[in-house]
Amino acid sequence: MNDQPVSINEEDLHAYVDGALSEERRAQVEQALEQNPALAAKVSDYFSLNSMFHERYDRVLNEPVPARLRPRKERNWRDAMNWPQFAGMAAALVLGVGIGVGTNMGRGVPDSGTGMASTTQSSDTRPVSADSTEMFARRVAIAHVVYMPQVGRPAEMGQGHEEDFVRFLSNKLGTDVHPPMLTKSGFQLDGGRMLPGKDGPMAQFMYRNADGERLTLVISHRKASSNTTAFKLYQDGPVNVFYWVDGNFGYAVSAGIDRNVMLQIAHDVYAQLTSATAG
Amino acid sequence: MDIRDELMEHVPRLRRYARALVNNRDLSDDLVQDTLERALSRTEKFKAGSDLRAWLFTIMHNVFINQVRKASSKAVHVSVDDESIVETEFAVAAAHTQSLEVRDLDYALQRLPAEQREVVLLVGLEEMSYTEVALALEIPVGTVMSRLSRGRERLRALMAGAQPGAKLQVVR
Repeated sequence: MNDQPVSINEEDLHAYVDGALSEERRAQVEQALEQNPALAAKVSDYFSLNSMFHERYDRVLNEPVPARLRPRKERNWRDAMNWPQFAGMAAALVLGVGIGVGTNMGRGVPDSGTGMASTTQSSDTRPVSADSTEMFARRVAIAHVVYMPQVGRPAEMGQGHEEDFVRFLSNKLGTDVHPPMLTKSGFQLDGGRMLPGKDGPMAQFMYRNADGERLTLVISHRKASSNTTAFKLYQDGPVNVFYWVDGNFGYAVSAGIDRNVMLQIAHDVYAQLTSATAG
Repeated sequence: MDIRDELMEHVPRLRRYARALVNNRDLSDDLVQDTLERALSRTEKFKAGSDLRAWLFTIMHNVFINQVRKASSKAVHVSVDDESIVETEFAVAAAHTQSLEVRDLDYALQRLPAEQREVVLLVGLEEMSYTEVALALEIPVGTVMSRLSRGRERLRALMAGAQPGAKLQVVR
């Protein structure tokens, strides 16, 4: 048996290429390949075919998805899943919908007479910090603006589906997520959804108070871990975002309401999330 | 949850696979569109927590096989050896400086029987395990392996026949 290599069939060769063999069988195939150049050439061709597939077709992954392939029954902002496009629309919405609930209209909001184009431009040309957490905050602000106009109860979380939804989000984020209760501050949980993010999925929870003011909490699972940061404030037009990073997770609270109130809420959120993970 | 958001995450990969499978941009996007529409019309059949990607590939497989059947029942015979078809199909790649081998890949793939092409691509391009392919195509693992074995070997022979010096010419 030592001189005569064990018989290797066609399917073994393929399974070898596809990494589907047991350790033992793999060793046997490798031995056979060493002794048989014809087999080795074949296997090498099979490997080449696989890499040629990628060389040839992976570029499709980077092509913009044509409009007809974006689920489109409800024509609304949620269908725009590409962030750049998202950003453009958000910029338009800042003006168009006029969601300046609070009065903290920052310097970033241009004269409304300048119109949409200049808004888009100003948000595009604003110096973007290399700090990825700031990028995160910016996206959160955009998401807040984009989704806030949906006044009704979002479809994603109907009555009674809250638990399912929370479980679903937990699966996606790879951790237990429990949306904090903000009733103390007058906000009721109103809905939530999953957003695609550059660093992985983000869960967005929406809250609303009796006055119809909205607040969103975004939790994102980051690829890179980092130490806990202090609260930071990011302001995009009328939207204030308090954000912080804790290990693998980034958190952000956004709303167009008074900063001091928001800071209070951010502390509340932080306290609840910390005790939840500890417990 | 909104399954639309979920679906969107899979669209680029569905498109990649469809492009390799059908080798025509519009037709392959048609395939993706049919797949998405079918998926959206029966979201209640999708079990939450199970593998959405596998489910989508199963749907795409069914749509694709139906198309193949329809096309063959119409019995319009188009010879796969017709070089003129090849020329027009390849013309799109002109801007890229791809090797002759890679460019011929489209052609060679189209000469595989549809069921072999699916398996070869699901394994080689989508990097699915044999079990995943078996589930997606609803066939036994043994069938996956025999289709893979025959398909890949055939593809290898076709590509080997398309090396420089062989009769296929470089497209400008």
